[in-house]
Amino acid sequence: MTEKILPEKNLVVRHSKLELVEHWAIALSGLALLLTGIFELPVAKRYYIINIPGLGWSADFITSLYLHYAAALVFTAAALFHVAYHGLRGETGMLPQKGDFAASVTVIKSLFGFGEEPPMHKYLPEQRLAYAGMALTILMLMVSGLVKTYKNLYAPDMSHTVLLWATWIHNIGFILFFLAFLAHMAAIALKPNWPMVRGIFTGKVRLDYARHRHGLWLAEIESKEKTTDAESGPTPPEQPTGAEGDQVPTEQPAPRGGEGEETPPEP
Amino acid sequence: MKTKEKFEIGRRSFLKISAGAALISGVGLPKKVHAAKEGQLATLIDLSLCDGCPDRKVPACVAACKEINRDKIPPVADPIPEPWPRKTIEDWSKKREVFNRLTPYNFIYVHKAEVNIAGQKKTVFVPRRCMHCDNPACATICPFSANHKNKNGAVVIDQDLCFGGAKCRDVCPWQIPQRQSGVGIYLKVLPGLMGNGVMYKCDLCNERLKQNRLPACVEACPREAMLIGPRKAVEQAAEARARRMNGYLYGKTQNGGTSTIYVSPVPFEAINKAIGPKPGQPHMKVNVKRRMADTDPLAKTVLAAPVLGLAAAGVAGFLNRRNNRKSDSGKEE
Repeated sequence: MTEKILPEKNLVVRHSKLELVEHWAIALSGLALLLTGIFELPVAKRYYIINIPGLGWSADFITSLYLHYAAALVFTAAALFHVAYHGLRGETGMLPQKGDFAASVTVIKSLFGFGEEPPMHKYLPEQRLAYAGMALTILMLMVSGLVKTYKNLYAPDMSHTVLLWATWIHNIGFILFFLAFLAHMAAIALKPNWPMVRGIFTGKVRLDYARHRHGLWLAEIESKEKTTDAESGPTPPEQPTGAEGDQVPTEQPAPRGGEGEETPPEP
Repeated sequence: MKTKEKFEIGRRSFLKISAGAALISGVGLPKKVHAAKEGQLATLIDLSLCDGCPDRKVPACVAACKEINRDKIPPVADPIPEPWPRKTIEDWSKKREVFNRLTPYNFIYVHKAEVNIAGQKKTVFVPRRCMHCDNPACATICPFSANHKNKNGAVVIDQDLCFGGAKCRDVCPWQIPQRQSGVGIYLKVLPGLMGNGVMYKCDLCNERLKQNRLPACVEACPREAMLIGPRKAVEQAAEARARRMNGYLYGKTQNGGTSTIYVSPVPFEAINKAIGPKPGQPHMKVNVKRRMADTDPLAKTVLAAPVLGLAAAGVAGFLNRRNNRKSDSGKEE
């Protein structure tokens, strides 16, 4: 199990290394696709982008296409990997649930000081909705992009109707993806979400933050850990033993204090 | 004998094949997905026959093209919106009569080239227009798919969809398409910030082809220096003529192959030298590489990317299950 409470470090493992690789592969290739996609429009000369040091190549459409393909390779493979891998494992925590829309409104209002946040799972309701929106946008971009790639290679004379559909789905997908990227950055900019940023770099978030904001998730992990411990032996959870028999420090008292206060890492 | 060959390729064969081409290019429904190549046409331009129409002010092919496309470009906005921040405006609306170069109002011109062959001067007349490439970058990477290659080989810009960004001209090895600012759909969107008119070029008279009619330039040529017909037949005829005159071909391999094949009694290196390219008067370099070919291997990998992703997920899932089983059996022990 990836998710794990590390009370001695005041941390919870939120993402596995593989999930981090997936996220960053999609994020970085997606950014490269946005940039090189913009350079596939005749904007670099007109807007003097070619004069920016290091972007002299931006008006060369063939170079941009080459980079666009390279990024599309990573993006498409990573997106398909993500869906297939987590689908096979039955990990559906990011899929929207009933009532997510109403819950999202409550959460967003609370971010601006109106009302209280409801107890939440690993992912916030608006994160699940955003995920579905992003997945649909990525699907649009991928399918239409593959049609366009096929056309570039094998069928420059393909049906103009099909091609126009693919082109406009790709162009609209590009706008939606750009807006989704901006929304993603805006969500990160909101202070209550800051502790989650650490999670997408290190895989771990602060335990006190998780307990405060993702109570349902922690309860789920704790319940799973209890079940696992009960199955694997009599060792009490208060004195965990490492898998290889290494001594693990006993649990320290849960830290107290406001957000931002963090237990220093173990030496 | 020569006349007979021209007649067969130029007129009768064209009409026979063009019915099929018209069917494939949209008048009728295609029967098979891969039947396209069968209907592909090509034109042959024989420089040993073209004399530039010395008895006319404007060569017949140019005049015919101008005539049928006279009203193609709608009235130009006055004033033409100034693009921002680079303020390039290309306006040919007051120079419509220009016929010695490519312009938005002139899709074909005849270049008089004074060629120097081993110290001997020779004049050749070279009709120039879009080559209608086999895999035209101008069409395949048009961001709005306004430029499209038809099954019959004609590469056609839809002036109702084109924003006039001139990307097609940038990627065309011969910089054929020409821009007219102040017309087109961009005027209705954000004329100051995106788009700058419409790109124009020869469309091989695609509408006439659909009606089983010859392109205007082919029909008008008094010396039958231009022919159109099935791609293979035209290639064979071009090769036969080149052999007979101990001449040279152009367009068969350039930019990965085109639907326009020139036959010339003088080498194209010499013609290119004589042309000395200028805006609207494209070069005739012999070595014209299809630049997009460099991206083809990567594009093929992109098409395989979904399979790669799924295969990787399968492998990762398998390894994951195996590790879980190992750790479970470890616990049991």
